[in-house]
Amino acid sequence: MKNLLKLLLVSGTVAMAAASAQAADSLDALLEEVKKNRVSEARVNKQREAEFQAARADKQALLNKARAGLKAEKERGDRLKKQFEENEVTLANKEVELQNAVGTLGEMFGVVRQASAEAYGRISTSIVSAQYPGRADFLERMSNESKGLPNIKELEDLWFALQTEMTQSGKVSRFTTEVVSLDGGSEQKEVVRIGTFNLVSAEGYLTYKDDLKQVQPLGRQPDGYMVNSATGFATGGSGLEAVYIDPSQGQILGLLTAKATMMERYHAGGLPGYVITVMLAIGLLIALYKIIVLTVMSGGIRKQLNNPQNPSTSNPLGRILTVYEENKNADTETLELKLDEAILRELPSIESGINLIKILAAIAPLLGLLGTVIGMIATFQQITLFGTGDPRIMAGSISMALVTTAQGIIAALPLILLHSVVAGRSKSIVHILDEQAAGIVAARAEGEKA
Amino acid sequence: MLFLIELWESVRDFIATGGDVLYVVALALFLMWICMIERFWFLNAVFPKLQSKIIADWDQRSDTTSWYAHRIRDAWISEASDKLSERVLLIKTLVAMCPLIGLLGTVTGMITVFETMATQGTGNPRLMAAGISMATIPTMAGMVAALSGLFFSTRLESKVKMAKEKLVDSLPHH
Repeated sequence: MKNLLKLLLVSGTVAMAAASAQAADSLDALLEEVKKNRVSEARVNKQREAEFQAARADKQALLNKARAGLKAEKERGDRLKKQFEENEVTLANKEVELQNAVGTLGEMFGVVRQASAEAYGRISTSIVSAQYPGRADFLERMSNESKGLPNIKELEDLWFALQTEMTQSGKVSRFTTEVVSLDGGSEQKEVVRIGTFNLVSAEGYLTYKDDLKQVQPLGRQPDGYMVNSATGFATGGSGLEAVYIDPSQGQILGLLTAKATMMERYHAGGLPGYVITVMLAIGLLIALYKIIVLTVMSGGIRKQLNNPQNPSTSNPLGRILTVYEENKNADTETLELKLDEAILRELPSIESGINLIKILAAIAPLLGLLGTVIGMIATFQQITLFGTGDPRIMAGSISMALVTTAQGIIAALPLILLHSVVAGRSKSIVHILDEQAAGIVAARAEGEKA
Repeated sequence: MLFLIELWESVRDFIATGGDVLYVVALALFLMWICMIERFWFLNAVFPKLQSKIIADWDQRSDTTSWYAHRIRDAWISEASDKLSERVLLIKTLVAMCPLIGLLGTVTGMITVFETMATQGTGNPRLMAAGISMATIPTMAGMVAALSGLFFSTRLESKVKMAKEKLVDSLPHH
């Protein structure tokens, strides 16, 4: 098209130039020229037509080719669809076949899953995991896998895991691991594992926190002799060594850390508890003082009993005997009155304080009872506020109530016992003075008369 | 020997379930019985000799009616009765203390129960069972100890009283 325009333009300009140059006489020439051009133009057009024709044939061939391609693809689609349907049927058949083939094995895989879940629960919390970490991950994956069948390797791994746990549970083994201390620091320590029961080190019992995968020392160690056995076991060499183990695999030791110490229990008693303690202390001091005084006194009296001729004024019996020495010549009635007077003078210092011990021993349980009542009042106040839903809230003040009762009894027991000891001693002294002094005097008087 | 070991085992089990208060009960019981056995031995073996000596001394006296004789007789009786009733008060106190010690066990056991409740809740009654057995066994032990002592201590007391009266009766004013 562009060529055509150019051609026309060129021919136009040529004609114009010719016209302007040669004017009228060249019209024939122009005609000739036009005729000539017309011929060449027709040739060009013919050529173009031929070109168009040729292109058209090409396009037709392309179209035909495309049509053929579409037809082929459609056929392929049909074929594949058919194949897909066939495959569906085969798949269904195969599934049925698989189900038949698995048969009772399906149940077995259920058992495997269950067993691995159980093993996961056991092995992840077991202290053997402190020695061999990372065993639980595989079991956790296996127990969580709901679809798909375990293969031989996985089955074998489960078997190995169980077998390891079983074998290790029968062994006492020594290994070095990181122990995280309670203040946050951690260090490598040698640890002895006793079966699946306990971990012990030179410091005592350890616990394995399965959620943190850490070995920690027990917050509160059990009684001294048990810890001694454990440390002896951890540091001991070969040979037999006795050790206390916790057969609940650490649960009882765990409960131990929640248990209150003696001091905590004592302070749970509160004010009544402190008053009881003060009373016990006072009672004990009085009793101790009385025991010392009475022992010294009865020692002096015994000495005097063996030697009634030389009365000394340092002991009560001697003082009574001096009364006789001073009233040797008085008649018996006067003498008896004088003796009674002397005895009466001695009694208060012997018997003082003994009743105080008795009173303290009687008041201590009563104070305990007071503490009980105060504790119960606190309990009922808590029930009013919080209801009875959580026994833990109530248990605190109930234990306070009971602690004071116990403290009252604990204070009363030694005081009662000491009172009976002190009372017995003072009674025997009083008997000597009250009933025997006159007899000694009489025996001396008789001896002197004879 | 094996029998003794088994016996010891059962005693140890008993103390383990009953708690440490049982040691105190056992101590009180032991002390009480030692004292009582000593008293019975004294009453049956030692005192008769003492009594016959006092009676013989009294019978030797020519003067048994004067004021002096009365005082001397009183002194001898007092001396003898002091010897007779030595430690009887202690025995009686120990008998009275046994149930009190048992009560102490009850209270400490209940403290254990409530402590368990405070830390573990009431979900598992088995956890509380240890405290409950610690509460009940000492009470029972204290009761049994007191009962075992009560009969014999009463008997002992009446025997002492009888012996005293008998001595008084056998020192006549002639």
